[in-house]
Amino acid sequence: MHIPDGYLSPATAGTMYAVAAPFWYVATTSVRQALTGRTVPVLALFAAFSFVLMMFNIPLPGGTTGHAVGGTLLAIVLGPWAAIIGISVVLGIQALFFGDGGLIAFGANCFNMAIVLPLVGYFIYRVISSNSEATSTRRLVAAVLASYIALVAAAFVAAVEFGLQPHFFHTADGTPLYCPYGLDEALPAMMGGHLLIAGPVEALTTGLVFAYLQRTHSSLIKADVPGKREGKLWLLWGALGLVALATPVGLLASGTAWGEWGVDELEDLGLGFIPSGMQRFAEWWPAPLPDYGWPRMGAVIGYILSAFAGIALVALLLWLLGRALIRKGQVSTREPPPATTDALR
Amino acid sequence: MMTLDTGRIFEARNLDYDYPGNIAALRQINLTIGPGELVALLGANGSGKSTLLKLLDGLIFPSRGEVLAFGQPLSEKSLRDGPFVLEFRRRVGLVFQDPDVQLFSSTVWDEVTFGPLQLRIPKDEVVSRGSDALKLLNIAHLRERPPYRLSSGEKKKVALASVLSLHPQVLLLDEPTTGLDPWSQGNLIDFLIDWADESKSLVFSTQDLDTVEELASRVIVLGTDHSLVADGKPEEFLSDPDFLLRTNLVHEHSHRHKELVHRHRHLHDHHH
Amino acid sequence: MKSEGFLSRNISNITHILESVISAEDLCRAPGLLQGLDARVKVATVVLFIVVVGLARSLPILGAVFVLILALGLLSRIPLGLFLKRILIFIPIFTAVIAIPALFVTPGEPLVTVGTKVIITEQGARTAGLLVLRVTDSLSFGVLLILTTRWTNILAALRWFRVPSLFVAILGMTYRYILLLLHTVNSMFLARRSRTLGSLSGGENRRWLAQALGTTMAKSHHLSEEVYLAMLSRGYRDDGLVLNGLSLRRWDFLWVAFALAAASLLLWINQL
Repeated sequence: MHIPDGYLSPATAGTMYAVAAPFWYVATTSVRQALTGRTVPVLALFAAFSFVLMMFNIPLPGGTTGHAVGGTLLAIVLGPWAAIIGISVVLGIQALFFGDGGLIAFGANCFNMAIVLPLVGYFIYRVISSNSEATSTRRLVAAVLASYIALVAAAFVAAVEFGLQPHFFHTADGTPLYCPYGLDEALPAMMGGHLLIAGPVEALTTGLVFAYLQRTHSSLIKADVPGKREGKLWLLWGALGLVALATPVGLLASGTAWGEWGVDELEDLGLGFIPSGMQRFAEWWPAPLPDYGWPRMGAVIGYILSAFAGIALVALLLWLLGRALIRKGQVSTREPPPATTDALR
Repeated sequence: MMTLDTGRIFEARNLDYDYPGNIAALRQINLTIGPGELVALLGANGSGKSTLLKLLDGLIFPSRGEVLAFGQPLSEKSLRDGPFVLEFRRRVGLVFQDPDVQLFSSTVWDEVTFGPLQLRIPKDEVVSRGSDALKLLNIAHLRERPPYRLSSGEKKKVALASVLSLHPQVLLLDEPTTGLDPWSQGNLIDFLIDWADESKSLVFSTQDLDTVEELASRVIVLGTDHSLVADGKPEEFLSDPDFLLRTNLVHEHSHRHKELVHRHRHLHDHHH
Repeated sequence: MKSEGFLSRNISNITHILESVISAEDLCRAPGLLQGLDARVKVATVVLFIVVVGLARSLPILGAVFVLILALGLLSRIPLGLFLKRILIFIPIFTAVIAIPALFVTPGEPLVTVGTKVIITEQGARTAGLLVLRVTDSLSFGVLLILTTRWTNILAALRWFRVPSLFVAILGMTYRYILLLLHTVNSMFLARRSRTLGSLSGGENRRWLAQALGTTMAKSHHLSEEVYLAMLSRGYRDDGLVLNGLSLRRWDFLWVAFALAAASLLLWINQL
């Protein structure tokens, strides 16, 4: 799934760097806090392991082989934030040394495989495994399902990135400048391959290694931190993530000629809760910027920015709502919140 | 500010250490090591030699009892104190058994300069210390090499150099001669003899009784019950075959000639 | 699933990687044009050129860039065969596979017609060409960078560009241990192959692979803990304390000027 340079326009690539940056930032600060001095050796060794894992040719039943990413496995063992950094590092090495993944497409590749993948995987793993024992079958099932869905989610985001290219970046006579396949072609092509082959490879690999770890090194599988607080937060973040992923597709796959989407169409698609601020954004941006010669480039950038602004606003609202709910919950419980004594790790 | 008593190097008092899961690693270790001593730490595999060295280097902490270095207790708390940690890390160097663990930097040069840089030594001095350490072990030509392009003998030398650049007062070595060919072993032993003086101390763990004879002024033996079973001059123990057999330092080899079984003890009998 | 295929493929994968790492490192020492330039300058200009390649809209420009790349490779003493092998190893061919359908499905002016049916459109041809050339050019710049710049210098350049020191430290150490783990895993594969007579079923291979992966993961975990102790033992407190050996010279300024001029020219032509 590594996207080379040339498939995405510099504008898209740059945008993806901007999207990845806040996740990298949060990951870095979380990890430093959790692992303190051990951060560098622990992440380096696990990233090294990830690389080796990604390299293996895995035999599937039926005779085909494939490669796994292992992002969900890493998120389960080290936590999602450490997985974000670990996989980003591996992708960096793959891009620099082996040309597997482009240098300006690095932001996009990280977003797909190092951010979406482990976060989705971890979320689903936690939801399915809830508080079961480290060695239980339920956890194994959770790991397998989570890794499958996470990989498919990553493929989905990649497909969207590809599919947007010909819509927005083409010459005056219609020649696509980057990836030549639109959403209606890119989505089925990528999703088909990943649902049927890459996904099962990922699930199989994760399952095999996870089962082995359950048998021999079950201490590596961290027991869940008990408490409603973390559970609720994860549910909200997970829901948010799914919403964020769904929004662009919902808007674009609607079939309406782009540029003509108004607030009415948005409401038709069930996204009526998107604040009117987004509409104002879309109207502010001037239509063609003639100097660049891209047809409707200005509106395109405006659209992308407004989509993200909309998502960010939604995220903020959901997060605030979540905090309010949790605070309310805490007031009504009789137990005091668990004290954290982890500082001395 | 803790003051270091450089006249006392290490003290262990009623030291116990358990592996996770309450598995005994060391039991009731009591010992004192002073300046100028060349101590060989002996014991069969699994007797806790590496663990003891790590305890002396303040990397892990006792389950019960205590370890003191330069008169100060080694604990998580004491090693968080700024000036003490700096001084302790500068004065005590541990060379790990597996050089790949110690060679974590991108090149040999990065590795030998890692210690001095972390100890906030000024850059000019870091450069001269690095060069000196490499020259001392005749590996200046390996300066720009990455670790994966080093032979295992070269790796061991780089590991040692990376500790020597700290200018330590105490060297802890975990099986320094294991895996080295006889010529390199001899070289290393000569080097360590040269390095030692009345103010410095050396503690090395080994399975090789030859090395003990050539280098050690004192022998500490860890028994199969994880406690200290001997502590004294090499001559006292190394010519006692029963003792050596009991502590698994030698093995008794037996083979059959039809009904007859010959038993041979492989002792440290060969003299150079 | 033939076991021979599965094991051999993985072994040759790993061996290939290890070999390419060594050959890249050797090339970094050759007295070529790019090897003599500062790493920071190279990283910045490579990124610049890839962006220019990304903005190009015509095939001739991308073709001209490829000629420039070949020239740079030649001046940097990179054997053409090796260079092409690294470029063509899978991506451009894979891209050609992706691009070929575009020839037929892109709507537009007809280019090649059979009877009354339009097979290939002008737009289709152009888009396929753009994609293949763009990917090839971008990839080639990356290859030029990696074959002429030492890994430690790339890390130093990243640090200079304010990439967080945590990330750079992890990047460096990851690379170092990737090579170690690859060796370990390769030994596992070789040992397995030498004990295998005939084929094994897919299931047996998978089980074995799971065990190999699990063992490797556990080894990584063990190593991470030991490496941490080794770092701590030498006073580890901060990341990014590395002696930076980078310095700009006259050639670097000339190169930057050249790169900016070339980029501007290409972009200007692009606008026409």
